[in-house]
Amino acid sequence: MVEHLTRLTTGVSGLDAILGGGFVEGASYIIQGSPGAGKTILSNQIAFSQAASGHPVLYVTLLAETHDRLFQSLSTLSYFDNTALGDKIKYVSVFQCLRDEGLDSVVKLIREETQRQSARLLVFDGLLNARDRAETELDVKTFVATIQSQAAFVGCTVLFLTSTRLQESNPEHTMVDGVLDLSDELIGERTFRRLQVRKSRGSAALSGFHQFLIDDNGVTVFPRLEAFLPVPSINAPPSSARIQTGVNGLDQLIGGGLPEGSVTILMGPPGSGKTSLSLSFFSLASASQPALYFGFFETPERLIMKASSFGLAIDPLISSGAAEIIWNPLTENIMDKLAHQLLAAVKRSGVKRLIIDGLNGFERAAVTPGRLVEFFASLTNELRALNVTTIMTWEMREIYGKAGTSPLPDISALLDNLLVVRSEKAASTTRRLFSVLKLRNSTFKPSDFELEFSASGLSISCADESGVTEPEKG
Amino acid sequence: MESEDNEVALIVVVDDEFLLADYLASLLTDEGHEVVTAAHGRAGLQLIRERKPALVITDFMMPLMTGLELAQALAADAELADLPIILVTGGQGLIARDHGELFDEIFDKPYDQSLMIEAVQRLTAAPKTER
Repeated sequence: MVEHLTRLTTGVSGLDAILGGGFVEGASYIIQGSPGAGKTILSNQIAFSQAASGHPVLYVTLLAETHDRLFQSLSTLSYFDNTALGDKIKYVSVFQCLRDEGLDSVVKLIREETQRQSARLLVFDGLLNARDRAETELDVKTFVATIQSQAAFVGCTVLFLTSTRLQESNPEHTMVDGVLDLSDELIGERTFRRLQVRKSRGSAALSGFHQFLIDDNGVTVFPRLEAFLPVPSINAPPSSARIQTGVNGLDQLIGGGLPEGSVTILMGPPGSGKTSLSLSFFSLASASQPALYFGFFETPERLIMKASSFGLAIDPLISSGAAEIIWNPLTENIMDKLAHQLLAAVKRSGVKRLIIDGLNGFERAAVTPGRLVEFFASLTNELRALNVTTIMTWEMREIYGKAGTSPLPDISALLDNLLVVRSEKAASTTRRLFSVLKLRNSTFKPSDFELEFSASGLSISCADESGVTEPEKG
Repeated sequence: MESEDNEVALIVVVDDEFLLADYLASLLTDEGHEVVTAAHGRAGLQLIRERKPALVITDFMMPLMTGLELAQALAADAELADLPIILVTGGQGLIARDHGELFDEIFDKPYDQSLMIEAVQRLTAAPKTER
């Protein structure tokens, strides 16, 4: 029989999922990282979260910095609660005790104080300083072992904070139940904060790096999507229904619409009509088919204006709650943050029509482009399982001429449908041509169609080689 | 001269944070007082019983015995019940003020050191019976 260990939740968004439900109660962990990596903000966030749930916390420091300075810097964070100080959370310094009486006295003091406070969580900030004081490695080993065993005895979870990156051979490393590594790394011109669970005894943690950010709410961790959702969160049977595209004439060409729960990539160069096609699909939002436009380029206002130029009224859909536009400018984004934000919005409103405009926005936010295939596999599998019909745009470089191959052939294999729009110069005019390259479980005519814009929306008609257009027979 | 009419008083400073304890000790030593420090309430209580100081300045949040518990222990001890106590607190001013009767002065950190010196002079100058 598999025994499930009682967990102490962290109160840090994303971290419980990475730890497999939180810290194991009564276990001890090392949180390590260079100065500025976020150890103090993270551990205080966990401490205040425990205190807010009524669980007493003992926060022991071995640092020269005064507690008032610590409180001053924490006071800018939303989780900081002045009224918990000295009540549910007690901060004590053992610097003098260590200096005057040594490690043994510190151990004794912490034991007594843990009991006095009935602490459920003990944070020990400054393991490095304890190492300096220790005569031999044996002393530190004994110190860590004693602290953790006396805490475990009363069911108290321990977090040891240290600013050195301890090697796996370090005695501390071998003794504790888990090690969390926080780093702040420069990649190109930008820094990325990353968390890694290097050791997790008795509990499967999500492996590898997970990006996190620090803002007014403290630490938010974004579990690496493909590790977080290796398989979809629900198991849903595939649907044979069709979802209308909103483009006049297109549904008849593709068997009644896009297959429900399918993922479509819409490729095309700038100005070829990708956004307009997407807006047409978006404009069919309803209470039974809520829509989300997850974009990186135009602001919501510009999208609404653009849609109104060909007769689509988006405002009422947004007011009624049937449609939502989320805009993340193409500045410094975190790929997993985007994915979690997207999936949360999809689940929140039960989105059935989704536009991601475009895939390039995710690609730009990738620290390691090598994981894009796994990332998109996880994202698209989840969207299919949620029965969301998705259109993702992909910007190509060539403005005129035949469509090239997909810039990311590995990703194309993960998609159900592939649609291409492109511009073609014919005499003095430019035509926008539309073609279907791939369509899941459907027959389609593999020829070019012309995409036309009018005040009553977008429409598709047959285009022959001479450039003369004929209406397509349904 | 400012210190002419000041008595040299023995003061016990109780604070687990050594930077604050050392700083206050230097400040008061410069004023001509004799200062001894303790790192937590329990050590402080022991020191007070041994040395019988004229004044105690204590922090609130400390291991083993808080400033509040120290003040309660002193109040319960007939020999020490009249000893003046200054409480210096971080974020715990509210809890401390609920027990205002135990303290002669309550300072919130960071405090104005001239006000601290004033309070120390006043509390150490007055004979205990007149307080």
